[in-house]
Amino acid sequence: MTEVLARRTMRQAARPQAIEDVHAELDSLWDAASFVPDMDRMTFATAVIEAASNVVQHAVPESTEPVELGVDISVTPARLEARVSAFGAVCPDPIDTDPVMPGGEAESGRGLALIRALVTTVTFKRQDGTNTWILSKSPLHD
Amino acid sequence: MDLSYEVKDSYAEITAAGRLNMVSAPKLRDMVAEVVAKGTSRIVVNLEQTAFMDSSGLGALIGCLKAARQAGGDLRIASVQPQVQMVLGLTSMDKVLTSYPSAAEAFGDD
Repeated sequence: MTEVLARRTMRQAARPQAIEDVHAELDSLWDAASFVPDMDRMTFATAVIEAASNVVQHAVPESTEPVELGVDISVTPARLEARVSAFGAVCPDPIDTDPVMPGGEAESGRGLALIRALVTTVTFKRQDGTNTWILSKSPLHD
Repeated sequence: MDLSYEVKDSYAEITAAGRLNMVSAPKLRDMVAEVVAKGTSRIVVNLEQTAFMDSSGLGALIGCLKAARQAGGDLRIASVQPQVQMVLGLTSMDKVLTSYPSAAEAFGDD
């Protein structure tokens, strides 16, 4: 089992203000994992915020209960991993596994393509009414 | 994010300090709409204190660029920091949003 050196988790209503809390969790995580190089922090944090924003903007509740955003970020010696979840959301359809970056005039639609460009792997899991995007970045830069 | 603007001789400078994300992006759009409505369509957004921008923030900048051009002006960005430069580069928007070393230089040539 790989040693987890730092970890932050949060779960709350998927509202825009939750994004500011994800930023705060990331800042706190980097304080606890000071060895992570600046470039990796920058790329990974951007991907996590994009994924969380995607949940807040696009997740559709599957019942009368509002969708909740979950973020679970962990740091191991050679890997950053974030599990960004939409609890109580319908399954997004279709799941775009190879998004294309929109052209210059578009004002939206870049989030998933940007995530792809920023991290090493992106996987999607649907389980028990929860959509989870798992982002990983490795190896860490020197 | 803290947003403010100042109307100069030939352009307006908007200063954006903090994170340009889905929370603050609508506020930037509102401010640019206000500046344009008051008669200034040459706008520079000073990003010296913008440590973070996501695709929502980028979308707002593109919308603001369109609004400025539709009013006969232009929108330029200045003092871009590394994370913002990374997002502009990965999305190829560095070719669309013209970046200048400082706000004063953004409209210095015309």
